[in-house]
Amino acid sequence: MAKRITAEGVGARYGSLQAIEGVTLTIEPKSVTALIGPSGCGKSTFLRTLNRMHEVIPGATVTGKVLLDNEDLYGEGVDAVAVRRTIGMVFQRPNPFPTMSIFDNVAAGLRLNGVKNKQLVEEAVERSLRGANLWNEVKDRLGKPGAGMSGGQQQRLCIARAIAVEPQVLLMDEPCSALDPISTLAIEDLMSELKDRYTIVIVTHNMQQAARVSDSTGFFTIDGPGQPGRLVEIDATEKIFSNPTEKRTEDYITGRFG
Amino acid sequence: MRDNFHERLAEVGDGLIEMSRLVGSAVSKATTALLDADLEAAESVILADEQVNALYRQLDDVAVHLLARQQPVATDLRAIVTGLRMSSDLERVGDYAVHIAKVAKRKYPASVVPVELRAIILEMGQAATRIAVKAGTVIATRDLTLAAQLLSDDDTIDDLHAELFARLLSENFEHGVEAAVDLALLGRYYERLADHAVSVSHAVTYLVTGEHSDPESYAADA
Repeated sequence: MAKRITAEGVGARYGSLQAIEGVTLTIEPKSVTALIGPSGCGKSTFLRTLNRMHEVIPGATVTGKVLLDNEDLYGEGVDAVAVRRTIGMVFQRPNPFPTMSIFDNVAAGLRLNGVKNKQLVEEAVERSLRGANLWNEVKDRLGKPGAGMSGGQQQRLCIARAIAVEPQVLLMDEPCSALDPISTLAIEDLMSELKDRYTIVIVTHNMQQAARVSDSTGFFTIDGPGQPGRLVEIDATEKIFSNPTEKRTEDYITGRFG
Repeated sequence: MRDNFHERLAEVGDGLIEMSRLVGSAVSKATTALLDADLEAAESVILADEQVNALYRQLDDVAVHLLARQQPVATDLRAIVTGLRMSSDLERVGDYAVHIAKVAKRKYPASVVPVELRAIILEMGQAATRIAVKAGTVIATRDLTLAAQLLSDDDTIDDLHAELFARLLSENFEHGVEAAVDLALLGRYYERLADHAVSVSHAVTYLVTGEHSDPESYAADA
């Protein structure tokens, strides 16, 4: 189910502003890849190029290639909506549909994809909630609104919603920055379970989190204001956090700049 | 929570226990090599130390990676910091066993130990083996009573060490300067390796209590 992502010379612009340039990297399937770097380095922008979310912003454009296994996501005739179904996303702030019940939140994507069979939907909802380590907490109140849950539960609900449509890849943009430390650890544990089935890419400001959860870590930075963000290096997380190749990575992770 | 982290942390403990088992057996075997002028035993002690050194480096790597990636705190933090110290102490115990084996090997087929000093060297060897094995048990059980007992084993070795010196310096010692130097070194090796085992027991005390134990008063408690 999990697929490999290959970015080749990916650049992204917001109108005339070049946000990132020349990003080339490979994201291995069934692993967690963390992207770290100072604010404005383009790591979130890069993440959004991976499921064609960047172009949703007016004036935003993408250059270069993104391959999912061998399929070019920006190839001619590729349906951006289908890409987003294959490559799911979880955002910084938990964003369950506020008026929907817990059940309907998870079922939303399936129904949107035309799954009508009640039993199939129920099965998928339970499987997804179990997959997100949330089932036991909510199984007796599936009809209650998702907005009534704690922040950590809401985020796990969003993860359940994302995996309900069985994506190949899960992108997570700062998924724990609005959560308390215990909910954060719960999400981190969940990531290490989910990587058995999915390719996971996480953008995080929290370097320690990258160190804890990821198999590979990529470091992005910018040379100065108005300059495009670039990938400095990507390597095994153990290597990045114990003996990175690039001095700029070392300076950043040891708190000497950024 | 953080199962993966705790599993890797357990690896550190398991590695230390394995190291103490290896060095305990090395000390025992080195003593046999010495007393029986057993070349094969001496060589196997020297060879087996490779394994101890490999474990030592492996534990270093695991500890560095856990520190770099997991931000351990409280007992977990002390387990890693003391783990590093203990593995370095155990590695040194292994080295002293090798030193002892090398003395035996150098003199082969002659025996380094004159008949009248066999008993005292045997006793030192037994006490040193006991203390090395006990250090392993202390690591495995984190039993502070046992940790304190190590000190009395160390006292035994210190007494034997002093006695050995007295015998070497007495007018009755008639085996020449070279033999005296070898025996003085052997005594020193046993005495030093026991000190490293004691240092392991202090590390375990710190790991459990978070307090540094004072080497002297700690001995008085035992």
